[in-house]
Amino acid sequence: MLNSEKLAIAAHLHVLLRRKSGRVTDTEWLASNAEYATEIVRFARAKATEDGHADLAEWASKLESAMAETQPMRAGLTKRSGPVAEPLAAPRASAPNPDLSPDEASPHRYIRGIR
Amino acid sequence: MHLIGRKWLLAAALCSSLAAWAQAPVQPALVAQSSLNAADTAWMMTSTALVLLMTLPGIALFYGGMVRKKSVINTLASVVAVAALISLLWFAVGYSIAFTPGNEWLGDSGRLWFSGLDYLKDAGQAAVSHVAPNVPESVYAMFQLTFAIITGALIVGALVERMRFSALLWFIGLWSVLVYAPIAHWVWEPGGWLNKMGVLDFAGGSVVHINAGVSGLVCAWFLGPRRGYGREPFEPFNLGLTMAGAGLLWVGWFGFNAGSAVAADGRAGLAMAVTHIAASAGAMTWMLGEWIVRKRPSLLGLCSGLVAGLVAITPAAGFVTPGSAVLIGAMAGLACYWGATGLKRLLNTDDSLDVFGVHGIGGIVGSLMTGLLASKAISGVSGSVVTQLIGVGAVMLYSAVMSALLLWLTQLLVGLRVDEQSEITGLDITQHREHMGS
Repeated sequence: MLNSEKLAIAAHLHVLLRRKSGRVTDTEWLASNAEYATEIVRFARAKATEDGHADLAEWASKLESAMAETQPMRAGLTKRSGPVAEPLAAPRASAPNPDLSPDEASPHRYIRGIR
Repeated sequence: MHLIGRKWLLAAALCSSLAAWAQAPVQPALVAQSSLNAADTAWMMTSTALVLLMTLPGIALFYGGMVRKKSVINTLASVVAVAALISLLWFAVGYSIAFTPGNEWLGDSGRLWFSGLDYLKDAGQAAVSHVAPNVPESVYAMFQLTFAIITGALIVGALVERMRFSALLWFIGLWSVLVYAPIAHWVWEPGGWLNKMGVLDFAGGSVVHINAGVSGLVCAWFLGPRRGYGREPFEPFNLGLTMAGAGLLWVGWFGFNAGSAVAADGRAGLAMAVTHIAASAGAMTWMLGEWIVRKRPSLLGLCSGLVAGLVAITPAAGFVTPGSAVLIGAMAGLACYWGATGLKRLLNTDDSLDVFGVHGIGGIVGSLMTGLLASKAISGVSGSVVTQLIGVGAVMLYSAVMSALLLWLTQLLVGLRVDEQSEITGLDITQHREHMGS
């Protein structure tokens, strides 16, 4: 998955969390730091369960899938800072993003042409 | 008595017309400074600045935003270096080859090193070009210089991220003198063979865009694809830069097209209007096409569409009505979208930033539609699709053959491509010892 796609998911979750829980997140950090992402995913799921916001849980899962593709970075961070409360799911092979067209959902964007 | 008076008046008018015709220079000449038009001169100087703005920083930003982060500086440096190199070559050789009478194929040596571009204060005289008799020749030469610059700079988009910097300078330098200047002479100098045939190219649809597009495609084919092309995503560095570049191109194009009227008059005003309208139509049709095919309208698509519209209206700007401009821009938006996607896949060549897909295809569409839509009421001339087709074909053939020859020569001189490790590391570090900040 491209960084821009990961960032788009993080941005969407950021907006949902701000609206529905008042919590403000750092979007760029969310898309790049697995430990931070893990905590925010945990928080979003907890809020989803508490307040009945199904979309929060849905976007938390999307971010989890996206971050799972950057497992080496996460593993490195986890090793330094100890285990996290709710580890991310095991990496899935190219989890499709339902919001993107087939052309964009796969990492084929920008392959064989920029346009 | 009354009849005799009318005959005398008619004869006097005829003599006056003949005298004016006899005074119109057929080659660069010295004229009284009082014969220059101050408004035209001011507009041409403004246009010159606008067209230079299209390259620096317009094209630099437009391209710099589309390459990968490791080659942004190389792309920016290429555009700056090309601008400086072509300026010197234009001053030394290019202008004389392009804009002196000479023969049908090449100009003469009368303006080498800008010799003869005189301004004689005491004698009250200034040199003018026969192509632009109302403005100082120094201004006209500078205006045309900015066209030579942008044409060379456009080619950079086809060969980014893999060509040696020294090879780029050798190739573009030779190309500017041996390809651009002769084609400019054929099309724009009144004695050029395509000009005499009646090919219409108001501001450079064939001289600039088809020429750069075809040469870019040949460069991309000759160099071969970037490593990982077709397997890895080449994510653009920053499309915000690309949008800023596209905006500068749009604004600068008013100088490019309206300046090509070589006067601050109604035709220049109309050229400006049709330029803006075609750019808008191009942006909208590319956006719609992308929205339908890919389900998303992208920023890069909008920027590309507006450039496509601008490219296509370039040959037509002083010949068509605003209504025709909508048609030309709309058609170019769709055609160039196909050129940068479907045709690109068919050609299977890593024309990295779609120089042929946008400039080549846009130029062809615009040139042919000029033949179809040129209005005699506006310009006094009628278009012919067949004549335009001959012009397009001649420019494409000459540009392709000469570009291949010059690439082969450059390969012999310095080698074209960087080595594998340099390409993987990125051209910023390996060619310039610089890198973009995080």
